[in-house]
Amino acid sequence: MPLLEVERVSKAFGGVRAVSDVSVSLEEGELLGIMGPNGSGKTTLFNCIAGALSPDEGRIRLDGHDITGLSPHRICALGIARTFQLVRPFGGLAALDNVLVGRLFGRRRHDGGAHVEAERLLALVGLEGRAAVPAAQLTLIDRKRLDLARALATGPRLLLLDEFLAGLNPAETETAMALIRRLLAGGTTILMIEHIVWALADLSRRLVVLSAGEKIAEGPPAAVAADPAVVDVYLGTPRAGRGRA
Amino acid sequence: MSGRGGRSETRWAAAILAGFAVLALVPLAAPRDDVLNFLLVILLSITLAESWNIVAGYAGQVNLGHAAFFGIGALVARTLWIDGTPIAAATAAGALLATLSALVIGVAAFRLRGAYFAIGTLALGEISRTTVGNVLAEISTLPTATISTYRLTHRYYVALGLAAVSVAVVAALARSRLGLGMEAVREDEEAAEASGVGALRLKLTALALSAALAGLAGGLFAYYHISYYPSHPFSPHWTFDAVLMTFIGGVGTLHGPVLGAVLYVVLKEYLAVRWVDFHLLIFGALFVAIVLVLPGGLVQAAARLRGAWRR
Ligand SMILES: Nc1ncnc2c1ncn2[C@@H]1O[C@H](COP(=O)(O)OP(=O)(O)OP(=O)(O)O)[C@@H](O)[C@H]1O
Ligand SMILES: [Mg+2]
Repeated sequence: MPLLEVERVSKAFGGVRAVSDVSVSLEEGELLGIMGPNGSGKTTLFNCIAGALSPDEGRIRLDGHDITGLSPHRICALGIARTFQLVRPFGGLAALDNVLVGRLFGRRRHDGGAHVEAERLLALVGLEGRAAVPAAQLTLIDRKRLDLARALATGPRLLLLDEFLAGLNPAETETAMALIRRLLAGGTTILMIEHIVWALADLSRRLVVLSAGEKIAEGPPAAVAADPAVVDVYLGTPRAGRGRA
Repeated sequence: MSGRGGRSETRWAAAILAGFAVLALVPLAAPRDDVLNFLLVILLSITLAESWNIVAGYAGQVNLGHAAFFGIGALVARTLWIDGTPIAAATAAGALLATLSALVIGVAAFRLRGAYFAIGTLALGEISRTTVGNVLAEISTLPTATISTYRLTHRYYVALGLAAVSVAVVAALARSRLGLGMEAVREDEEAAEASGVGALRLKLTALALSAALAGLAGGLFAYYHISYYPSHPFSPHWTFDAVLMTFIGGVGTLHGPVLGAVLYVVLKEYLAVRWVDFHLLIFGALFVAIVLVLPGGLVQAAARLRGAWRR
């Protein structure tokens, strides 16, 4: 049974069909990449999975259990954690406290050692020594790392990364990709939105491409890259509403 | 439990409670009514400010209907007490009703966010004040038998105990998992939810805790004042006093509201003597200045000074 099943999900805002009849499924331990031009519905799909939005149609199942429309904190406790495309750390709280929130609230069972574990996660993402710094004072990159540490602190089975690599320089991208590989090796399943095609191709065996809310391609990176529909979306004549050519 | 401040919060709590212990000696050392009345107003203000601080400073929900909980506490305590219930039981009943109404109001009002929540609660507070003013238009005066046995010292010690309880409650909250969750909601509700925090539950808990303390303070008001209009404790100025004191001192900190309450009451007394009607204007201007220049109040100003000193 797949860990995550998104079945024919649709979500509209007023007249805009942001996500339209999209199905995606993810096996335990897999990394699935999602790509697509700006405004193609990637973040909206994430919001539906994480419970920040409730889909208009379709079902979402985690481990076979229907989680459609549950509130975000319940979905988090069931094992789905996320980072935000525009980072959203708790600015007034120390870095360590940010991670402690995830650790103390994001799991169904409580065990001791929250502090130690939070420190370990800060070190894992490269924020050792910054535990006492208010999140608002961290650099953008560090705030991204903090977002990830907080998500990991909830002990997720499935991690949703929304353009985690955007804005990183080449060295930082390498470090981040190494970290993602470590998480995968540790058994975390990852669903990852990314514009950086080579990174996605490198990390995943399977890609999904969205365009104007619809799934237009799915498969191994090489096959997807050669798919005429994808080529058309990325290289073809730019149509209204498509930012990235 | 929270990594930040935990220890400094404990130190402040110890310092403030030590100050309260000294205040416990005042009735023995200087048993003057004017001194005790003045200190009582400060202690009542500390309780009101700390109670507002829980929901606004920690959970980030700017409740402008706070006076309603103070009023409910006063109304229930006064009514039951005059009917013969011991004041402690009457006050407990008032605080309980304030807490229950907080839960009912919260379920509705927390559908609103930010400024809408503030306006909604302001409206609810005003509705409660006008309702009480219309239904109970008569002034409430203690029976002569009660007045003849009136002891200011008793009221003073109740005020002292209540202020100590408020400080202890906020200190415990600031160190707890619950308090950390409230702060997460304050910082970013959506991100808090995504991290597993049940925001609505925590906001309701904060409002209930805040209302319980305000309800107890209302009981003290009913016990303290010989005669007043029942709608008076529902007046929005109780809310705005708490808002001002908390902001002057430092919203979302343990000691800020205590410092703010002391400064506010002392300054108000001084200004009211000198400037009579202008003190409201002065406080209004002070409030705007603080929000614009020093949103963290005195506590932030002190931290900045320390930082500048070190540099
Ligand atoms: N909360 C919202 N209210 C109204 N419209 C929205 C909302 N969120 C997204 N949209 C619209 O839905 C469409 C899909 O947006 P979405 O953010 O999901 O795209 P995306 O693929 O993540 O884009 P990007 O690559 O720029 O992040 C866009 O047209 C967007 O304007
Ligand atoms: Mg997006």
